[in-house]
Amino acid sequence: MLGERFGDLWVTGEVSGLRAYPSGHLYFALKDEGSQIDAVCFKSVAQTLRFELEDGLSVVGHGRLDMYVPRGRYQLVLDHIEPRGQGALQLAFEKLKAKLDKEGLFAPERKRPVPNLPGVVGLVTSPAGAVLHDIMRTLAHHRARLLVRLFPAQVQGEAAAAQIAEGVRVLSGQPDVELIIVARGGGSIEDLWPFNEEIVARAIAAARVPVVSGVGHETDFTIADFVADVRAPTPTAAAQLVARGWEELAGRLDDAGSGLVEGVERMLLDKEREVEELVRHRSFELVRQRLAETAHRLERGLLRSEAGVRGDLRRDRSAVTELERRLAARHPSAVLAAQRGWLERLEFALEKGQKLQVEGPKSELAGFRAKLDALSPLASLARGYSICRRPDGTVVSRTGQVRAGDGVDVRVTDGVLGCRVERIGG
Amino acid sequence: MKKNEEAGFDFEKAMAELEGIVKRLESGNLPLEESLGLFERGVELARSCKARLDSAELRIARLVKDKDGLFKEEPAADEPGNGRGER
Repeated sequence: MLGERFGDLWVTGEVSGLRAYPSGHLYFALKDEGSQIDAVCFKSVAQTLRFELEDGLSVVGHGRLDMYVPRGRYQLVLDHIEPRGQGALQLAFEKLKAKLDKEGLFAPERKRPVPNLPGVVGLVTSPAGAVLHDIMRTLAHHRARLLVRLFPAQVQGEAAAAQIAEGVRVLSGQPDVELIIVARGGGSIEDLWPFNEEIVARAIAAARVPVVSGVGHETDFTIADFVADVRAPTPTAAAQLVARGWEELAGRLDDAGSGLVEGVERMLLDKEREVEELVRHRSFELVRQRLAETAHRLERGLLRSEAGVRGDLRRDRSAVTELERRLAARHPSAVLAAQRGWLERLEFALEKGQKLQVEGPKSELAGFRAKLDALSPLASLARGYSICRRPDGTVVSRTGQVRAGDGVDVRVTDGVLGCRVERIGG
Repeated sequence: MKKNEEAGFDFEKAMAELEGIVKRLESGNLPLEESLGLFERGVELARSCKARLDSAELRIARLVKDKDGLFKEEPAADEPGNGRGER
């Protein structure tokens, strides 16, 4: 019952009669000029103390009142204890903290999240200190693109609290401000004191927009930290927090850009594989053979032209050129033509996307093109050769296979030409 | 980003579409025609988004009290951070 009633006590006093038990518990009395009370600090708490508890030390403790039944004595069970080096300030801090806590100013449900992509951020800090520089540098580093509206305020000394509070109020009153940062670098408890003043706490609590506090070092906790919507451990951390959405966005855009290029690369590789398979196909093997034969014939013909049949050959060649022209219009490998067309368009699109830094992938695309070009038998087909067959289907590759007046079928891409041999040269 | 929506460009929507496109491209198994269409659309979206991002930069301005006791924004050219908006 007592514990319930006095479950949340702050006490100050001097340590007296300290006994450290083998169990790890610490027993002592807290006393001041006119009174004293037994206190115990159980092992779990004693282990966390960052200072040496000793007789005569002034401390501030927090805990609950309990009854030690065997002796019928009250004792304080402390869950927090610290040296009272800054006694008066510390007590003021604890008092204000308890008061505001009781009012619900620290309640989790009051906490508002930091806007994801703030465009205008109010900043209350010293215009002269390194903190402003650190914050701007951190925002830039994390790719934040926003306006920082600085309310220059003293952050230590007599006038500081009033200026900080005014800054929060003024910025909060500006409709385009989406978030306020209150910041200060590290310092002694006195240096940080303005952030423990009620006027600052009230201003933060009343702010229209979320307030991020970044005061002192990680280990410093101020009232401003408790009442702020988000406590950042340091000014730099506050800037990071604010820039988070921007950084994430820029990262997402980078990822999407490279994902786009990677996706297309993968697709091109797949298609290239398909083309390769097509080329390896048996029917192309036959075509390739015929091409080799035709090329051979053409070479022989050229040689003979040196020997005086230049005119005839010129006619032959112009016929070939005509065929080439016509056949080129109807590509024998529609697949390849389509592929190359796409590649060119892709390359064009990639050029348009240069800002996405696709130079590397672009050169890879050029590589794909080169690879496709390297499949030259197909490319040769594009120049438009045809296959000549006798009516029985035998492919004509030697002059001896036909006689003048014979009918032959000449196969071109889109059909068959019924032809008659007029003359046999060669 | 309210400003962007005002300008008729919904950044988040564009990003979502872009990421959807990347997901589809990465899944593979799309016909060439479709892949190319998606790619071109993706490049376009990525460019718009990037342009949108680049159009904003990190700036700092300082509030100064005028003679009527009102606070006015004053560009603080000499402040650290200005001119650092570009990566």
